[in-house]
Amino acid sequence: MTNSRTILICSGKGGVGKTTLTANLGIALAGQGARTVVLDADFGLRNLDLLLGLENRIVFTAQEVLAETCRLDQALVKHKQEPNLALLPAGNPRMLEWLKPEDMQTIAGMLSERFDYVLIDCPAGIEDGFKNAVAAAKEAIVITTPEVSAVRDADRVIGLLNTHGVSPVQLVLNRVRPKMMANQEMLAVDDVTDILALPLLGLVLEDEQVIVSTNRGEPLTLNGSASPAAKAYGHIARRLQGEDVPLMDPAKDGRRGIRARVRQLMQTKIF
Amino acid sequence: MTAEPTPQVPYCLRLPAFRSVSWQQWLPARLPSLPPGDIDLDTADWSLSCRDLDELLHALHQAGHSVQLLVTRCRNTLISAAALGLPVREASNEIPTIEARDDQQNEAITNVDLTVHRGTLRSGDHIETQGHLLIVGDVNPGGSASAEGDVYVWGRLRGRAHAGSKGNSSAKIVALQLRPLQLRIAELVARGPEEQPQPGLAEQACIQDGAISIEPASPPFLPQ
Repeated sequence: MTNSRTILICSGKGGVGKTTLTANLGIALAGQGARTVVLDADFGLRNLDLLLGLENRIVFTAQEVLAETCRLDQALVKHKQEPNLALLPAGNPRMLEWLKPEDMQTIAGMLSERFDYVLIDCPAGIEDGFKNAVAAAKEAIVITTPEVSAVRDADRVIGLLNTHGVSPVQLVLNRVRPKMMANQEMLAVDDVTDILALPLLGLVLEDEQVIVSTNRGEPLTLNGSASPAAKAYGHIARRLQGEDVPLMDPAKDGRRGIRARVRQLMQTKIF
Repeated sequence: MTAEPTPQVPYCLRLPAFRSVSWQQWLPARLPSLPPGDIDLDTADWSLSCRDLDELLHALHQAGHSVQLLVTRCRNTLISAAALGLPVREASNEIPTIEARDDQQNEAITNVDLTVHRGTLRSGDHIETQGHLLIVGDVNPGGSASAEGDVYVWGRLRGRAHAGSKGNSSAKIVALQLRPLQLRIAELVARGPEEQPQPGLAEQACIQDGAISIEPASPPFLPQ
C-alpha cells in the first residue's frame, strides 16, 4: 500500500498516556474508515491488548510471525466491535534478547502492505525497545504531559528521533488541567511548545473516564462517549487524516460560564 | 560558586584505519601504554553500532579507562554514541591553525576556526569544540555546549554552557536570551540567576573580580 503511514507513538517518560493514545487513536481512525493496525512494541510489559479488551483473544504474537510459525493474518486480532481495527500482539519478553531493528522493520513492512495506518506503541525509555521501534517508524507522535520532567524526557526523545531521520514528528499534550494552567500552577501550552518546538497535533484534557475505560478494556472513542478526552482523541484522528480542526484553547476553557463548567465537572469529575 | 581544579588535557586514543585490523585484537596490545584515567576516543571512520560501541567502552572500562568524549567521522557511530548518552564530536577534515601568544595562564586563542552549529541543542545533546562556538538555535534545558574559546548562542541559552574549557578565563558566553541552568568559564562554575532577563536584551557572562558576572552584551566579539 503506497500511502500507508507508519507512526510511532513515544514519549520517553513512562505513564504519560502512549498506550491509551494508541488504543483510542486506533479506534477513532478505524471508525473514520481507515484500515488500522496497532502494534505493541513493548515486549517486556505489554498492555495494549488489555486496553483494547482483546487479551483473551490472543493466540499468536509478532514473535511467531517472525519465526514463520504462523501467517500474519493468524496473529492479527480483529477488534470485536470495530472491524477496521486489528491488533498485532507483542511477543514474549524473551524476544527482547534477540530482536533486532531489522526484525521490526520486517514486521512493519508486512503490516503496511495491508493497512492504511500502522500505529506502533513504543515502550518508555530510550533503550533497546525504543531503538528497535524507531527503526520501523516513518513518522512519530510524541506525547507528553505539562510537567517539567515529562517535557525534559520528550525533548531528549525528539532529539533522538531527529538523529534517526523520523519525520514528521508531531506533539500531543496530555492530561491538561485548564484551571491549574490558568492559575499558573501547571506549565502553559506555550511553555511546552516553546521548548519542544513541534507542531501541536492535539490537546487532551485530564479525564477520570480514561481510568474507567482502561479497566473495562473499552477505549473511550469506541462508544461515542461525550467525555472531553474522547472528543479530543477524535479530533486528533481527524487532524491526522488531514482535516483542519481548530485546537481547543485551555485558557478560554477556564473562563466559561457556570453551566458549562458544571457540565464539564460532571463529565470529568476533575476539580 | 565553587572553583574546580584546572582540567588536564585528556589523552586521545585513536583507532587504526577501519577494517585494517579488528579492534578486539588491536586494543589489548595498546592498553598497557595508555595513561591512567579518563581518555578521549577517536574512532575516525569506524562504523560502530550501539552494541559494538558498548563492547568497546566496556573493554576500556575494564582496563580502568572511561571515555569522556568520542570523536568520529561516521554518522552511524554518531548515532550510536548519542543513544548511549556519550558526549560526541564530529571530526572535521580541516586542522584549525592555532597561534597562541606566550601567556601562561590566560592564553588568547587567535586565528582559530569558528565552529557553527545550526539547530537547537535538545536535552541530552552535548557539543564540544576547540576555538569558538556559535550556535544558531536554542540550547534547551538539559543540553550543553562547551568550547575552548567563547560560546555564542544566537537564540535562548536555557541549558549549560562552558567557555574557556581548557582554562582560558577571558572567554565569555553571549546569548540573545541568557537563562541558563549553569554557566562555566574556565574553572569557575555558577548557577543561573533566578530572575528572568529583560526581553530583547542580549547578555554576556564573563569573569570579573574572580567571579562569573552577567552584563548586557557588548562588542568586541570573537577576540582577534
